[in-house]
Formats: sequence, structure tokens, C-alpha cells
Amino acid sequence: MPIPTLSQSLVITLIQCLLVVIFVFVVVPLTVFAERKVLGYLQQRLGSTRVASGHIGITGWMNRGMWKMGRVPVLSYWRGIPGLVADVLKLILKEDILPAKADKFVFFIAPALSMVAAVVVFAAVSFVPGTFFTLPSWFPYVGGLPVSGGIADINVGLLWILGIASVGVYGIVLAGWASNSKYPLLGGLRSAAQMVSYEVPLALSLLAPVVLSASLNFGEMSARMATGLPAWALAPQILGFLLYLTCGFAETNRLPFDMPEAENELVAGFHTEYSGMKFGFFYLAEYINMTVVAALASGFFLGGPWLLPFGLQGLVNPYLPAFLSWFGEPHAIFFVVKIIFILFTYIWVRGTIPRYRYDQVMSVAWKYLIPMTLFNLLLAAAVRCFAV
Amino acid sequence: MEHLLETIGRNMFAIFGVLALGAATVMVASRSAIHSVLAFLFAMLCVAGCFLALEAEFLGMAQILVYAGGIVVLFLFVVMLVEMSKKKEKEVFQLQSRYAVAAVLIGAAAFLGVFRKVIFGTASPEALVLRPELAQGLNVARQNAQAVSRSLFADYLLPFEILSVILLVALVGAVVLAKTERV
Repeated sequence: MPIPTLSQSLVITLIQCLLVVIFVFVVVPLTVFAERKVLGYLQQRLGSTRVASGHIGITGWMNRGMWKMGRVPVLSYWRGIPGLVADVLKLILKEDILPAKADKFVFFIAPALSMVAAVVVFAAVSFVPGTFFTLPSWFPYVGGLPVSGGIADINVGLLWILGIASVGVYGIVLAGWASNSKYPLLGGLRSAAQMVSYEVPLALSLLAPVVLSASLNFGEMSARMATGLPAWALAPQILGFLLYLTCGFAETNRLPFDMPEAENELVAGFHTEYSGMKFGFFYLAEYINMTVVAALASGFFLGGPWLLPFGLQGLVNPYLPAFLSWFGEPHAIFFVVKIIFILFTYIWVRGTIPRYRYDQVMSVAWKYLIPMTLFNLLLAAAVRCFAV
Repeated sequence: MEHLLETIGRNMFAIFGVLALGAATVMVASRSAIHSVLAFLFAMLCVAGCFLALEAEFLGMAQILVYAGGIVVLFLFVVMLVEMSKKKEKEVFQLQSRYAVAAVLIGAAAFLGVFRKVIFGTASPEALVLRPELAQGLNVARQNAQAVSRSLFADYLLPFEILSVILLVALVGAVVLAKTERV
């Protein structure tokens, strides 16, 4: 295996960044699309599950046929696509309004901050251990070199993820302040309080995997959590997963914890004054943050690139027959499927559970989640102490 | 190209240091408190970069997590809530320049007095170690995080715990000060 020079490894890193950005920009629009459709089915909203391109093309033809038969097809994957296209077009084409007394610089930089903080987290996420694929030899400049499964699988990866995620708060708070308007400011303050408080149980719930795997490196952690733990470790893993997911919902400001933009109290919260693509960046950042939380949850608790969740893979692997050995190895596809499942869970919860009141949100964090995460940490430490 | 990259890599500390100093200057010179906080945030991130350039990755990440993610958010919170009139803002930010310059001069003199030897003196041939028997333990630890935790929780446990008690005292004091009006 040839050792890449400095500039070659830089090019490989750029390729990896490009792949991650492509991944993000494929998953995010699909999540938006899925959100409209799944919510449509969950709450009997008719539009987004039915709208299709009227009379044009094969979908229009099939729709006409179905409507003539007097029923709506259940497996209509394409339905709602025009809604997605219209969404994107609206974001790009809408006028970009700057409020008269807004702080121009801060107003401009707030969406960029949230977006950058959301994307940069992926630097420390390792999608598959070791080499992801080897570039073909005809590839210019970097042909024949291996591309690893994570951009920078650093040994303080978890701290990087938590740190950058906490920088993401600024986007929302500054957006609320810079708009120089009542509701955005309230939304920004709420979000600052909410995100700072939920960071505590979030970090505490992620400490259980740290204790169990004795590492801070994303790749090492997911490998040890998936394959290197005894059966006793199931309890702290499952409890930790539920706690982490709850905190993750709050940290990404999703229902039932979407205080910063509670529509019926705050108009639209921190992004009331934003329009056009600046609003689009907040929108993107929210969905990228969801993807990040999903990636962490699947990496640390659901077994990452291994098939089975909660460390079951390590228990099953010794008994796996030879012809099934493909399922015992790590594959990026498993990781992506788990991310998509958790994104679906986000939508599912949004369609099911109503919003909490603000004081309830805070008391959930301080009075319930923190003691429970501490208990989970204790459990993990006990497993680590006696069973590993 | 290769040469350029290597030069950049070797001078990472200088680059981040200059950026941090520039951000700190903007922070002091800025007229708006929020802009000051933003510049402070940037300076903190640059200091984290400096730590990374010194291969102290744990400290760098802790810098981002604690300062950029926690403390500066609280600054921002306070600054957002305290709305100042133009006159008050002028008093606070522009009429104190003399005192500020005096404070900076005194601080610089004190800094030079303490670190005179470090900056202008010759480098010591071997690293100064307070307790050589501990340094071996640090060499055994493979990673930053392990080395730091070893120092904090094994070798210097008592000073560390005393420090945390001091923080607790500050916390309790803040609660008491905030509560007195109601009693």
C-alpha cells in the first residue's frame, strides 16, 4: 500500500468531504419529503400524500387511471414530489428581506454559523472502520490510494462533536437577537436556555458509551460498543439510547421540544424575520443536525456499521455460520439504514406527541433526565468494573 | 506545493495565535457588545487551534466545549438581556479608555516580569519536571485524555478537588446573592 504524500492526503480528504456533503444533501431533501408524506399519513393531511404532476408524464397518467377507479394508491412513492420541488424553488426565489433596524453583520452570519456548525460535526464521524474503498488506479493524482471511512477519526472525536454542536447554539441565539424584533428574541432566549440545559444530559448520556468502550474515538467507540461488550452491557446501552434520543430531540429543537419556534406562541420563533435562502440555511441546519444526532445514536448505541444494535453483534458473531459471515462484518450500508430509521423516528414522534409547555421542557431536563443519565452512567461504570 | 503545505503545517501555532490576537483586538475595539462577544468566540476557537497545533488535542477540545460552547453563550445571554442606552454605552465603552490603557500597561509589565526569562532567556536543555516519578506515568499514557485524567485523578487529586470546591463556593455565593432580595 503506497503511503500518500501530504498534498495527496489533502486531496483524499477533500474527496471525503465531498462525499459527506453529497450524503448530507441527498439525505436532507429526502427527509423533508418523507416528513411531509409520513405526517400526511399520520395526521390525515391530504395534500402532501396525493399531489402529483397533474397530467404530465407517467405519474400523471397513472394518477388519472387511479382516480378513475375511485381510489388512491397506497404505494405511491412519487406523490408529493411536486411539493418538494416547490419548496426548494420557493426558498431559492423568495425575496431576501433585511429588517430595517437589524444588525446587518450578525443577521447575515447567524444562519451561516448554524449551518457550518451542523456540517463540520461530520468530520469526526467514522462511517465504516478502516478503508472505505480504494480509489481506482486511473484516478488522477491520487489513484490507487485508500479512502478511509471517516474524514478525521481523531482520538478526541466525541469531544469535537459535542464542542462543535454546542457552537451551533450561537446561530439561533444571534438570529433571535439580530432580527431586532420581539418574537425572535424570545425564541432565541428560549433556545439558549433549552439547548444549554439539554447539553448536560446529552453529554452525560454519551459518557456511558465512553465508560463502556474506554475511548473517545468515534470509530473505536462504535466498534467496541457493537462487538466488544458482555451481555450485561445491554441494560446501560438500551437505557442510554432512549435517554440520548430524548436529549437529541431537544437539542435539535424538534417536536415535542421545539420551543425556539413554537408557532402558536412565537409566530415562528427565532427565524420569524428571515426569508429566502437565509431561512433555508436554518431549515437545512435543522435537518443536518437531525442527521448528526441520528449518526451518533446509531454509531454509539445501535451498533454503527455492524448489523445488530446494542452490542448484540459481539454476542451473536461466534455462533454465526460461515455462509452468513457477510452479516457479521461492518458495512456502511447498515450505518446509513440506521440513520434513516432514526430520522423516520423523528417524524413519527413529531406526528404523535404534542408539544410540551416551556417550564415542563426545562423540568424534564433538570429533574428527570439528568438524574436518569447519572444513574445510567453508574450502571455503565458497574458493568465496566465487574463484567468487562 | 508539498513544501508550502509543510511550512503551513509547521507554523499552525503562529497562524492561530495571530488570528486569536486579531480577534481579541476586534473584541476590544468593537463598539457593539454583541460584536465583542462574537470576536471573543472567534478568539476562543483560535486558542483551541493553538492547543491543537501543540498536540494537546484534549485541551483544545475542552477549550471549545467549555469556553466557546458554555461560557461565551452565557456572556451572550447576559449581553442580550442588558439593553443599554446610547449614553450609557458611550460611558461604558468610550470614556474608560484612560483606565483601560493603564490596566493594560500594568498587566503587560506584570506579564513581562513573570515571563521575562521564558521569553528572552535561553531554553533549558531538558524539560522542567516538578516530580520526575510522575513524568514516567505520563509517558506510559498513550493519549492526551489519559495523561490529563491520570494527572487530575491520580497524581494531583487533592488540589483538583479543592479547586472544584472553590467553584462550588462561587456557585453557592451567586445563588445567595441572587436570593437575598426575596427573603
